[in-house]
Amino acid sequence: MNMVAAPVVAEADPAQGGRGNPFLLVPITLFFLLLGLAVLRSPNLMSSNGIGSAIIVATPLILATYALMAVVIAGRGTVDLSVGPLIGFLNVTLIQLHGAGIIENPFAVFGYAIFVGALYQFVFALIVIYVRVQPIIVSLSGYLALTGMNLVILPRPGGVAPQWMSEWGLGTSIFSPVLLILVLATAAWLLFTRSAFYTHLRLMGSDERAAYTSGVPIYVVRIGAHLISGAFSGLAAITFTALISSGDPSQGTTYTLIAVTALVLGGASLAGGRGGVFGSFLGASNLYLITFVLATFNFGAVQSFVTNLAYGTILVVSLLLTLIIPFIQRHIRNFSPVLYFVALSVVALGVILHATNDYQDRAPATEVTQPAALGPIAPEALYVAPLEVASPTPDEAALREAAAPIVLSLLLLVVLAVFVRIAISQADRRSIAPAVIFVVAALVLLGAYLISHDGAPADTPAVEEGQ
Amino acid sequence: MSSIAPTPRLGLPATIIGLAVGLVLTAIGVIFGFIQGVAVQTIILSAIATLGAFVWAWRYVLGQFIGDGPPPADGEIGEGRKVWLQFRPALYGLIAILLVFLALSLTIESFFNIWNVISLLILLTIIVLTRTLGRQFQENRSGFIGVMVLSGLFSIGAMNIEGFASANNIKSMLLFASFLGIASIGQTLVALLGGLDLSIPFIIGAANVGLLYLIGLGVPPWLATILVLLIGATLGVINGFLSYRLQGQALIVTLGTGFAISGGVQIITSIGSAYSGNVFGTVPPWLSNLAAMNGSTFGLPVPPVIVIWLAIVVILIVGMRYTVYGRYLYALGVNRTSAKRIMISEPVYWVMMYAVSGFFAAMAGSLLLGWSGGGFIGVGDPYLFLTLAAVVVGGTSLLGGQGGYGFTVIGVLVLQVLSSFLIGIGLEFEWQQFIFGLLILPMVALYARSPHIRTQI
Repeated sequence: MNMVAAPVVAEADPAQGGRGNPFLLVPITLFFLLLGLAVLRSPNLMSSNGIGSAIIVATPLILATYALMAVVIAGRGTVDLSVGPLIGFLNVTLIQLHGAGIIENPFAVFGYAIFVGALYQFVFALIVIYVRVQPIIVSLSGYLALTGMNLVILPRPGGVAPQWMSEWGLGTSIFSPVLLILVLATAAWLLFTRSAFYTHLRLMGSDERAAYTSGVPIYVVRIGAHLISGAFSGLAAITFTALISSGDPSQGTTYTLIAVTALVLGGASLAGGRGGVFGSFLGASNLYLITFVLATFNFGAVQSFVTNLAYGTILVVSLLLTLIIPFIQRHIRNFSPVLYFVALSVVALGVILHATNDYQDRAPATEVTQPAALGPIAPEALYVAPLEVASPTPDEAALREAAAPIVLSLLLLVVLAVFVRIAISQADRRSIAPAVIFVVAALVLLGAYLISHDGAPADTPAVEEGQ
Repeated sequence: MSSIAPTPRLGLPATIIGLAVGLVLTAIGVIFGFIQGVAVQTIILSAIATLGAFVWAWRYVLGQFIGDGPPPADGEIGEGRKVWLQFRPALYGLIAILLVFLALSLTIESFFNIWNVISLLILLTIIVLTRTLGRQFQENRSGFIGVMVLSGLFSIGAMNIEGFASANNIKSMLLFASFLGIASIGQTLVALLGGLDLSIPFIIGAANVGLLYLIGLGVPPWLATILVLLIGATLGVINGFLSYRLQGQALIVTLGTGFAISGGVQIITSIGSAYSGNVFGTVPPWLSNLAAMNGSTFGLPVPPVIVIWLAIVVILIVGMRYTVYGRYLYALGVNRTSAKRIMISEPVYWVMMYAVSGFFAAMAGSLLLGWSGGGFIGVGDPYLFLTLAAVVVGGTSLLGGQGGYGFTVIGVLVLQVLSSFLIGIGLEFEWQQFIFGLLILPMVALYARSPHIRTQI
């Protein structure tokens, strides 16, 4: 019953969209826990190389989760099991069509992937609407059919991706086209949440009958949700192809299971009506971080088993944690995930600074090691330069030395202003928010003090904000 | 079949259409007969038989329709138009199948023989019968359709494939069907409550590896088997608790526990072993005999696993029909609120059904070990969605309360005969999967369409 009532509570503030969602509590906590752990285990993650490759590897997963999310919100238990095989299908057909020389230029590739993905989902929606079979059966059917089809099209992994695409997969810098795709897809969904169509979608997902009786065109809304999902699948397939630079027909199953897991880890409800791009992003990143953290422990031959065990356990535990959310909600009524996110990110920032700076011998060491890591990214230095510790000439270094305190204190002022503004506006409510604000502000001040005291480079916060 | 209205009266257009289609069919038959070089007497005989059978079927089909509806007094729409409206989806299907057949016979050389024509006729008969007779079985419609499809598939297979109906092939089909059948027991029971159990394949794999590992450790095989079955049931209990607490999330909960189980078991078995993931050991002869193709039950040349499966089938069907546990299970599935009002404990049933599911999954895993003779964690993987498919094709609703294990048995047999048939005509595994996928949808659409939303308010 609580599970049913919760989305209604979250709905109380429509202007907030899906962001006032207390179910984000678990994924946010988990995200920063894992991030802190990952950075402590392997400080290398917080370099241009590390973040770049993390983005390349995690993006297909995140986009697959988005694709699943769009249809899950539509309700009726539409857990699209066929999302993985669909991505696999687009992957192998892209490879084969490229091999045959039919699809070459980027526009054709994007057009093809998005169009075919949307077409498949369109047929899916029509079957759900007009044949009126349970969506999960349709998706099961699609899963089996597409898995078989993929193996027919490309019996074993192989093939070559287009040249321009395989260069994306190197993951040597943060600002790869893959990041652009991810950001654009996320922004598109966020824009979409501002529309009335999105409100209709959530209403239909929460209660289809209520939506029907209040005049929502449920058929159109359902088709729309599936089309969006198809477009996301297309993007996921493209980034997946860029990641592996070839075709792989057998990855479909794994992607389905992982996308469902990520979606649930991100606090979405498989029953429909609840879910968002923020949670999905966190869920998918969490899965990536789990794999990453476990990879830093050297388990040797049992590595994949440990990963499986951890996936399963974390999934079940985080599901169980959602059971206590109604209790939390009773005490903290206006929980703000954004605020919580900011608070934890400050803590994580501290951990990152500690991990990246304290273990190496302070200032001289950072200047020696980091330019070394800079080597391979010379061509793209244009984009990356502002965020990198380049090897500065003496007078540039002096200028930088002089400018750093000013920049830092400016940033600090802005942050403080925001916090003070929130603290004041929230002061008359009986809630924990002002206290949280206070603590966060204190932490920011402390962090600033530590940074200026250590003379650590000012670029690390920028990197953190960059992701 | 109960006797319906005395002779159903057909309108003129309907009769003419029927006669015309019958004549066309007969003509096709005659032409094929001459092409095949069959004796003239046979051709004439079969032509008469075809025409007669078709005209009778036509009258019968339309008779059903007239008997149901109001007397055709309103003369606004013609008879043919009315028939068209009533049977539009079925007629579209018929036309589509005929077109596919035409296309196939035009493109593929050797496709054009008498056996395929007969197969086509059987297929058409199935569709017509399910649309007409199926109406009489409101309750067990899916079972009826399943049996029709099963017999149709089997007869088509027997005609087209050498050795399809041989005792050996039937035995092997039953053998594989019993593995799938045992694995789907839990899925059926859990689906009756409105849940799902995706941990079955992982438990199968874990039991498969774990049993061999225990035997390798020196535990007596019978004890090891009992241990594995008990552990399977325990894991099921955990699944049941979790899915009951997390209502509506059963899919993902069981997936999570499945991951954890398969990972955990593999870690345990590969500790101290140089070959991680591979377990070595000797399977005791009685276990091999249980599940092997050449096993014998009390001297009879039937693998015991088939007998075991049959016994379970009988016990389950009778038990679910006549015992109080079975009736309570259905009561919970149909309406949990009213079930609670008559003091049926919901958590107990959830935990019990998931425990049964874990138990039988472990059993399937152990039997598969006997069949293959070597432990392999991935042995359960095909069962991930296959058990679900068997339940769905059989006609048990995933929303709970409708269906039963008898239906799942039909579903299992349909899937098994179909896959055997596809192997027989030389299709690879991937094509089989493709056809499975495409077939589930229309089969379910025949009986499990949910009502339009405007009727649900």
